[in-house]
Amino acid sequence: MTMYNLTTDQRVDKALADNFLRQATRRATDRLRNNKYKASDELGNWEEWRNAGETIRKHVIANLDFYLHQLIEQMEKRGVHVHLAKTPADAVGIVRNIVREHDAKNVLKSKSMISEEIHLNHALEEDGAAAVETDLGEYIIQIAGEPPSHIIVPAMHKTRQQVADLFEPIAGHALSSDTPTLTRFVRIQMREQFLRGDIGITGCNFAVANTGSIVMVTNEGNGRMVSTLPRVQITLMGMERIVPSFRELDIMLNLLARSATGQRLSSYTTILTPPKKSADSDGPEEYHLVILDHNRSEILGDKLFRTALNCIRCGACFNVCPVYRQLGGHAYGSVYSGPIGSVITPLLEKDWKKWGHLPYFSSLCGACTEGCPVRIPLHDLLVKLRMRKTQSGHTPQVEQQIFKAYRYLFTREKTLRRALRLGAHLQWPFVRNHRITGGPAPLSNWTKSRTLPMVAPKPFMQIWADLNNKR
Amino acid sequence: MTNTNEFINHLASKLGRPTPIETPPPVEISVPQYRLSNTEERASIFLQNWQALGGKGAIVKSDNDMLQCLKEWFGDLPVTWFKDNPQALIAWDMLPSIAESAFSTLNWPLTRYTQSSLDPRDRYSIAAHAELGITSSDLGIALSGTIVMNSDPLRGRAVSLLPPRHLAFIETTKIRNNLFEVLEEISALGTPPAAIEMISGPSRTSDIEMDLSIGVHGPIEVYVVVTDN
Repeated sequence: MTMYNLTTDQRVDKALADNFLRQATRRATDRLRNNKYKASDELGNWEEWRNAGETIRKHVIANLDFYLHQLIEQMEKRGVHVHLAKTPADAVGIVRNIVREHDAKNVLKSKSMISEEIHLNHALEEDGAAAVETDLGEYIIQIAGEPPSHIIVPAMHKTRQQVADLFEPIAGHALSSDTPTLTRFVRIQMREQFLRGDIGITGCNFAVANTGSIVMVTNEGNGRMVSTLPRVQITLMGMERIVPSFRELDIMLNLLARSATGQRLSSYTTILTPPKKSADSDGPEEYHLVILDHNRSEILGDKLFRTALNCIRCGACFNVCPVYRQLGGHAYGSVYSGPIGSVITPLLEKDWKKWGHLPYFSSLCGACTEGCPVRIPLHDLLVKLRMRKTQSGHTPQVEQQIFKAYRYLFTREKTLRRALRLGAHLQWPFVRNHRITGGPAPLSNWTKSRTLPMVAPKPFMQIWADLNNKR
Repeated sequence: MTNTNEFINHLASKLGRPTPIETPPPVEISVPQYRLSNTEERASIFLQNWQALGGKGAIVKSDNDMLQCLKEWFGDLPVTWFKDNPQALIAWDMLPSIAESAFSTLNWPLTRYTQSSLDPRDRYSIAAHAELGITSSDLGIALSGTIVMNSDPLRGRAVSLLPPRHLAFIETTKIRNNLFEVLEEISALGTPPAAIEMISGPSRTSDIEMDLSIGVHGPIEVYVVVTDN
């Protein structure tokens, strides 16, 4: 968990010095992005699909209260236990209670970003009922004690040798680091767990309001295992993850699979309408749905940022972001990284001190906005978040002073002229090739990693005046 | 625990209006959907896409075709399997009659999953130790090479999940063009079954260095017989 204790600068330095990480990030993002291009081009009318996706998401969010109510009603009518959690602590408490009530020893988990958001594993570990991550990537980072570095390929930053080293103590013998050996080990290891599972915890890609169904996509099949074999299932969902009916689900599943991994459909797309019918041989008898708010309702009420709730967690914005590409996910320090993580983390966590750096993890190039299958204006939201942060008074002292000085000078013409003349003289010791390359604090904050254009020996104001005189 | 009304009212207040009583009018969706002209074409494209994902597939038109196809795929393997495990072939209670008669002609006895044990854990164990899980498929999707299975009491969900191989039978007329048509058809049935499983190829992962690996959790080999009467 070391990266949680590092400062933002330290995390960034660490990422930049890690050649494997940077190479792996480039490889993963290139592959996923190119697959997405293929899968979206093949439709021949991607923009129309994006339009439909955007329209559906906006409609759902604008009527979230209605659809959520409908979902809850449908679920409860069939005997599903629906739990509403205002905070991560509430959600953790709900899951802990269910696990305790059943005295469950074997808790299995398929991928759920909500479980990461509420730090569920840590809490269950304390109770001695640790949930085993069953997605291969999540399993790797669980053993390593690290957060995901990519929303779709969470262990992308690990080398195969590191993976083999992590597995060896569990295997009790040496493992070769080729992929088939490693996946075979996990298949055998995890099989026993699946067959013994008491409680399955899953995420939720979409919830269908009018039928009360949960839709889950996986490629490995672990989602099916966790939702088929244990007697009790708990599904964690963010409250915005809704579609009105199967009609809209078609669009969303196409957009998700194609944008996330470039597949036409994920290997396993499962639509659960729980609990199992009494005569069914498989499937959970007892089903709990935990719906999490965690400041999503605040985002809903904030017109500037409401579109952030439209996200379908496909990760397409990660794969086109030049900042993510250089740093990978851990440098962000947050559970959700990449452009969407930089948008939603400050909004969900409401802590500018801790997360104020995130809106600046962007070059504002707009590639994320262009890549988003539901057209969330991500780079625009990042600018607005910077504004929000400044308004909330959390800008560093130095930056505040610089902008005060800027304002002071640029509203006083004579002083500005004098300052420029002074600057033109004082800069000489620091100028190399017409660039300022050093200087005293606070200038050095900038020049330690970048240069500045030098103050022109003859200011523009002077050139302009001379031109006028010549006429 | 938060009360539902309180939770919903809080959202309504954030949206600045009372919660609508009627279902909001659905949004208009117009996306050009993938369509093929006939059943034959759908079957052939379905198969092509299924194979591209790493599955094996064939179209059979007669009892004899079916026998040939199964023999070609599995050869003498089932006989070897039965020596160690009489329950090596685990199946749904009912398969299409062309499949049932092929298995009985080949003398490959099928263990019916739901009847294999009363205890669910025993059933899981039997399915996990089987060599081949055999099911039919309610619908197929040509565009994505997907088979679709609705759960019901005569069909174990574990049959297509736990054994290392999965064999499914589907009629050509059940193959649809796209996901939209499948979802529309399932919606028309009313309350959906407890589980609808859509399977497109074998279990796969690229979690280790983006290197594709087959069969980390679900079936490693997947087979589809498309029956054309």
